[in-house]
Amino acid sequence: MPKTRKWTEFFSKNGSVAVILLLVIFSSLFVNHFFALNNFALILKQAAIPSIACIGMTLVLMTGGIDLSLGYMIGLSSISVGLLVKTYGVSIPLSMLITLVLGALVGLFNGFCVQKIKVPAFITTLGTGFILLGVAQIISNGASINHLPEAFLAIGKTKIGLLNTTVFISLGFCLVFYYVLHLSTFGRSLSAFGLSEPASRLSGCPTARINITVYVISSVLASVAGILLSMDVNCAQPTMGGGDYTFQVITAAVLGGVSLYGGIGSVPGAVFGVISLKVINNCINLLNVPYYWGSAVLGIIILLAIIFQNAKGRK
Amino acid sequence: MNRKYGNAKNLLLLGLIAAIVLVSGLMIPRFLSLENILNVIRQTAIVSLVSYGSAMVIIIRGIDLSVGGLIAFCAMISGIMMKSGLPMGLAMLAGVVCGALMGLFSGVMVEKLEVPAFITTLVMGQVATGLSLVLGGGNSLGGFSDAYVFIGNGSFLGIPISIYITLFFVILSYLIMNRTRLGTHIYALGGNEQVVRNQGISTAKIRYFVFAYSGVCAAVAGILLSAQMNTVHPQQGGTYQLDAVAACVIGGVNMAGGEGKVYLALAGALTLGFLRNALNLIGLHPYYQNLIVGVLLILIVGMSMYRRNKALEKSLIF
Repeated sequence: MPKTRKWTEFFSKNGSVAVILLLVIFSSLFVNHFFALNNFALILKQAAIPSIACIGMTLVLMTGGIDLSLGYMIGLSSISVGLLVKTYGVSIPLSMLITLVLGALVGLFNGFCVQKIKVPAFITTLGTGFILLGVAQIISNGASINHLPEAFLAIGKTKIGLLNTTVFISLGFCLVFYYVLHLSTFGRSLSAFGLSEPASRLSGCPTARINITVYVISSVLASVAGILLSMDVNCAQPTMGGGDYTFQVITAAVLGGVSLYGGIGSVPGAVFGVISLKVINNCINLLNVPYYWGSAVLGIIILLAIIFQNAKGRK
Repeated sequence: MNRKYGNAKNLLLLGLIAAIVLVSGLMIPRFLSLENILNVIRQTAIVSLVSYGSAMVIIIRGIDLSVGGLIAFCAMISGIMMKSGLPMGLAMLAGVVCGALMGLFSGVMVEKLEVPAFITTLVMGQVATGLSLVLGGGNSLGGFSDAYVFIGNGSFLGIPISIYITLFFVILSYLIMNRTRLGTHIYALGGNEQVVRNQGISTAKIRYFVFAYSGVCAAVAGILLSAQMNTVHPQQGGTYQLDAVAACVIGGVNMAGGEGKVYLALAGALTLGFLRNALNLIGLHPYYQNLIVGVLLILIVGMSMYRRNKALEKSLIF
């Protein structure tokens, strides 16, 4: 096979890589202050936490479901870790563990409703999302918790070279889930489940277990993101994350090439999707475009991505 | 058996409304005053208007998550046109047409690209919210003409105008669903798409109509809301998203498609309205309200799905 064909094949499979390359080249040429080491480090730092959440969303979208409660889970885990660490004085590892278990329980509930009771995923997670928001606001009385302990912040904010530890933690999660999704039996069964549920069930995949596990993973990763986000801004807020965050994560996942019809998706794709979004955000900031353009641009990007993905799939 | 079950469900709904009204009436002194009841119905007008369209979309096995965005976007369009000096009627019509076009676009995405409805409408909602922020420059718009505010807050023969509007739309929706061929096709599409196709009926036309109608309902609701508040806020869609779906679900519209009555969505919206009002009058913080609505939503859909699964299991041969 000639070399050029290989390249085109690579790009048609990994559209997000092409998108990032184009974005970076254009931004470097036309946006002042974009092409700087510090700016790249900033983009990576901003992309680190959403990447973790986006991996979870990618897994859920691969089953043909959706997790609309993800953003609200971030808020709940943020406030719960804040309350435990600051107000109740629980030790840091224990409070983080409790928060992760909380996430797992929420995910288990979502998965149970979707798989066992067959409530559509968007209804289940829309409902749990509002429940989580309510719980987060009730336990915190709507107030945020500032000035978290130094030792807690150190986990995410220690600098190694230009980058925070958060980036490396995120990288760790990416590697683990790269293994889970692309190299393990679970990943293969998940893909099969997403492509055709009955076929994978008849060929002996534990479909129920896969479907529930995916929601648990999504919520746990959302809690991780919530904890890291609280470290990042040194503040635990019940309204952190929220619907907008969920939407950003879905956009990133779609940009990263996850199929909305289920079955196809990748961890590098998810990460590249998040990075593309952050590059666009970065350009919007550097070009002094008013903030409120952000959500319109985001919406139009995902719309184009869906249409493009579909046009590609139809060939 | 199905019919009997349907009636039992309607009775359950009526019982639920009666229970909420009675219990709250006994416990809260001001609850049963005519003023409060009219007020609740007036506030409910927004949610109920949205829920007629949402109910139709759910009946064809979709869901419309874009209504929150459309409520803001269409009101913003008509608000801006009014501010720039266009006559009120024309500006409102423009807002409604925008809603119809946005809905139509969702319909095309679902029909032609076969993108799942929840993704399409989620994205359209985001685009609409974003556009309304851009159009308003990130600010809200206020200070409309007296005639506009009258539509929102005035009354005719002692009954608020909002109630006439919502009644008009419930009758219109009822006529479409029960008295026209299109309505029959809508139910059929929700019941079994393959059969509809095999009959040579265009599924595209049905889908386009239903999504566009939902857009129109959301637009009317948004314009009415801004008339009631005398402001357009670029994010005024807020919780109407959840409430519209919850109203349909409480009204017994089946998430699995093919069954449900639009006028029962009105009953569902009223139930929600009285519930929220009672919780407000008790002095419960709004934090609890969304939580309770969320629980109700999952509980009711869960129960109906559970029952459906049981029935399906019985009918399965292998």
